[in-house]
Amino acid sequence: MTAVPNNAASPSYRFNWLNSLWPWLCAASVALSLLMLGALLTLLLVRGLGHFWPATLEEVTLRSGDIFAGHAVREVALPLQEGDERLYFTGNRDLEGARWRWVKVEEIVERTQPVDLIRLERSPWDDFIGRLVAVEQAEQRWEGEAAWQRLTALLALPASQRQESQLLLTTANGQTLRQPLANVIHAQAPNAMSWWQKTLAWGDAVWRFLSEGPRAANTSGGVWPAIFGTVLMVILMSVIVTPFGVLAAIYLNEIAHQGRLTRFVRIGVRNLAGVPSIVYGVFGLGVFVYGIGGSLDEWFFSDTLPSPTFGTGGLLWASLTLALLTLPVVIVATEEGLARIPDAQREGAVALGATRLEMLTRIVLPMAAPAMLTGVILAVARAAGEVAPLMLVGVAKLAPQMPIDGEFPYLHLERKFMHLGYHLFDTAFHGEDVQAAIPLVYATALLLVLIVLVLNLTAIFLRHYLRRQRGNEC
Amino acid sequence: MIPPRLTTSRQPLRLLQDRVATGLITAGGVGVLMAILAIGVFLVWETLPLLAIGDTLALAKLSPMAWGTLKAALSALLFAIPVALGAAIYSALFMSARLRSRIKPTLEMMEAIPGVVVGFIAGLILAPWVERHLASTLVLIIWLPLSAALAGLLWQLTKTRLRRYFPLSWAGLWLVPWLAIMMALALWLTPWIEQQWLGGDLRLLLDQRFGIDYATRNALIVGIAMGFAVIPGIYSLAEDALADVPNTLIEGAQALGASRWQALWKVALRAAGPGVFSAVMIGAGRAVGETMIVLMASGNTALLSASPFEGMRTLSAAIAIELPEAAPGGLTYHLLILAALVLFIFTFLVNTLAEVVRQRLRRRYRQMGGPS
Amino acid sequence: MLASLHSANTAQAPVTHFSPEHCCLSIDHFSLAYAGKEALRNLTLSVPRHRVTAFIGPSGCGKSTLLRAINRLHDLNESVTHNGRITLEGQDIHGPHVNVTELRRRVGMVFQTPNPFPMSIYENVAFGLRLQQRLTKRKRDDIIEWALTSAALWDEVKDRLHRSAWQLSGGQQQRLVIARTLAVQPDVLLLDEPASALDPISTLKIEELIRNLKSELTLVLVTHNMQQAARVSDYTAFLHQGELVEYGPTDQVFTNPLLQHTENYITGRIT
Repeated sequence: MTAVPNNAASPSYRFNWLNSLWPWLCAASVALSLLMLGALLTLLLVRGLGHFWPATLEEVTLRSGDIFAGHAVREVALPLQEGDERLYFTGNRDLEGARWRWVKVEEIVERTQPVDLIRLERSPWDDFIGRLVAVEQAEQRWEGEAAWQRLTALLALPASQRQESQLLLTTANGQTLRQPLANVIHAQAPNAMSWWQKTLAWGDAVWRFLSEGPRAANTSGGVWPAIFGTVLMVILMSVIVTPFGVLAAIYLNEIAHQGRLTRFVRIGVRNLAGVPSIVYGVFGLGVFVYGIGGSLDEWFFSDTLPSPTFGTGGLLWASLTLALLTLPVVIVATEEGLARIPDAQREGAVALGATRLEMLTRIVLPMAAPAMLTGVILAVARAAGEVAPLMLVGVAKLAPQMPIDGEFPYLHLERKFMHLGYHLFDTAFHGEDVQAAIPLVYATALLLVLIVLVLNLTAIFLRHYLRRQRGNEC
Repeated sequence: MIPPRLTTSRQPLRLLQDRVATGLITAGGVGVLMAILAIGVFLVWETLPLLAIGDTLALAKLSPMAWGTLKAALSALLFAIPVALGAAIYSALFMSARLRSRIKPTLEMMEAIPGVVVGFIAGLILAPWVERHLASTLVLIIWLPLSAALAGLLWQLTKTRLRRYFPLSWAGLWLVPWLAIMMALALWLTPWIEQQWLGGDLRLLLDQRFGIDYATRNALIVGIAMGFAVIPGIYSLAEDALADVPNTLIEGAQALGASRWQALWKVALRAAGPGVFSAVMIGAGRAVGETMIVLMASGNTALLSASPFEGMRTLSAAIAIELPEAAPGGLTYHLLILAALVLFIFTFLVNTLAEVVRQRLRRRYRQMGGPS
Repeated sequence: MLASLHSANTAQAPVTHFSPEHCCLSIDHFSLAYAGKEALRNLTLSVPRHRVTAFIGPSGCGKSTLLRAINRLHDLNESVTHNGRITLEGQDIHGPHVNVTELRRRVGMVFQTPNPFPMSIYENVAFGLRLQQRLTKRKRDDIIEWALTSAALWDEVKDRLHRSAWQLSGGQQQRLVIARTLAVQPDVLLLDEPASALDPISTLKIEELIRNLKSELTLVLVTHNMQQAARVSDYTAFLHQGELVEYGPTDQVFTNPLLQHTENYITGRIT
């Protein structure tokens, strides 16, 4: 296995010696790929999960005498000058007009971390960073430490049971603010927290990210509607794609005359897996939305025209388009599974007097089931990460209504829905404050990658297990 | 012991069931296949009105995007082909079997990472970073292969005992920290070099001295990001082709006195050539049709420029942006569907070509007495 | 050598015939071709009831093809064409009113490599039964016990009927396949080199089973093992290149063949 040429005495020694560096370049390609993959995943993990860790708040005094509070985000070199500048997240958009502040590092005179700095999550106006002076409720008033205890006690109650209260707040530079409790979602005093409390708070923040809806134009809050929309769309898609994909595979492998035509069709189906997803989106828009959806509207929903019901993108059309997109995946995987079943099994069943249907349902399909499952999981993994076709057939940046609710007929196939991938794209590129949204985009991207990777790993293990099992038999 | 006679009264029913089911499966299967076929028919049908209009100006509107598509795909392939083929050659021919059984699925896992995530990283994280560190990026492109060669050089100069701890068959793994260190070294040194010889800022220099504009989201970024997305596909197929080269061929060449690398280069690569070619073709198909990455990392400006530091707008991105707004039946609508048709035909042809080449190769291997 | 081979092909040895009341299966001028390539040429012979008939011959002589034709397994392959008649108990098996699944139930087939289904031992035997009619569990259990006993397997598996059939040894698997076939009570049992993939002890067990079964049904055995044919069969047909060379009582074919060609094959001078 050594790459060192052992014909050192030959005249072409020098040539060979240079030549033997080639394997190292090839090995470096593997290393580079691993490095890129590792870097991407690490970046997503660190930034996606790190965002939820309660950041230490600083009180910064500038040379000009200005004081503000916030947490440092990053530091970059100043263009065309010596020195660095640092970005602080300061919140308080209602008071300052911005949530960010760039500061030259050399201008900073003092940085402290007072334990009484708190951070409130509010809606509207998002984060507040400053100090709590008092809590006022009807005639009562709590101050100092008691105020903070009262506030946390109130926030622990469900929103409906909280009594009408006012918070008296001051910012680091001395502005005061009266804040109705009804607008406060969450309060935190990160500088006063122990390591263990921070961990708990982190877990809580992750949970709220997964279970809550977005706020402040998608720049904070959670992604629950997007998770829900993605899962629902993928479930609908697999319900459509599984029977049809399996049917087509059975037809191709078990029933069709195995001639030239079948071979061409097979190559064609295989190649459709390589057709860009956006082309399926165009097909979905032209045929499902404008064609079928438009006709449905004319026949059944003519009273609401010209505002379309089915004639615009929606859950059903998105599921159908993705089903068509993933059909080749399911067909190819199922066919592979069917082809792996030895003919002896088929002949054994037929020789016992089974009809073709009985042979298929009792012997062949049970044996091919893991392969079909693998195909469906791969299809789901592909559909979960696919965004481009959805942009044409029914995804929304912010869906006002969930596609499932208590209203008849409970499942609303015509509604637009939110999708994790599109949510990511939209927040990252069309948000009003991209800087504020980026941490959430990281978290969303991490979630999406995790979902897709877990699905793919399941498919790989299933396939591996299946091959091992077959291997024992033959 | 004599068992009870079996009755066969269910026979007609069973036969009927069988016939009905066969009919249904046939109908369903043919129906599904027709539905798939309908994609092509629909695209052609919707572009026919364009023929009636015969507006050449409208077609001219597509040409910058066609150029953008080509530019994006080419820059991606420029990055992906060397890396993917190098990785394929290494893991098929040099890597230890144990490492290979782990590395291959890992690299194939890269393919599963959604385009929208890659696009986000490229557009919002990588692009601003490269803009600030343009010189370092360019240095890295040259420095990384050099540092790999340096590792090989050092390896050959070291004593045999040390070599045993760092065998070539595991180099794919232990070169990772080496490359990381080399990368850090380059990033640390480049600003100093830039200061000394390039007047402090390469971007400024390019602009003032050569009049080259620099857009944050440009072909370089697209090349790296989409290359990242295309690498696993090319790697996986090329690796299969190389690993399937019958061992008798390589051993035969070595028996004739060729060193291992020469044997591989001359014999394995030539034998697997068609397979490698089809892998590249399929990668090209994917690069041409990829939407989210170019949408997020290319800047979406419809320019006819060859500069690697300028953006572009591809056919797929144009469809994704403009089609939802285009009125059905209008000129833009038909034009965008024509764009989809072009993508469809291109990828379909490329994939078919690749598939045919691959099948022919498999047959040839079988004749040479290879595996399977 | 070549000359003798040639003469053998042209000269037809006298073929044993059976009266209709003793004849179970009769093959009459039967030819078969795969995609135009002829595999069986104008075969005529009849198989006696409740006897073991062996088909022998070098590989590729068409003996397995003939066996599969009796079961109509070639129906699965569209490129196969045939000519002539095969009659089972006086009925043409290719006739227009013949029900193929019923034919296959009556003509059981056991393949070269054991092919138990991926299910329990019990379910393997019950497979054919479930297709035919709904039986009460007790009746079904009775038939399964009977079939496994007839295949000399009951004692070995009665404690693990619900274990996977793939855990059995090769010989046990082959006897399970025979039991599975017996359970649907066929009239004829076709065995396609049933012992070629087995060890000597398993082979002996299968041979004993074949001898025991002939009181119940007609057996046709394809084998390339001459000793096996001599040990278990009553009649032997020698096929070569798709044609019948010699057919008669086993004793006569092995000890006193009528044709030089047969003798050459039996004594191992040609393979």
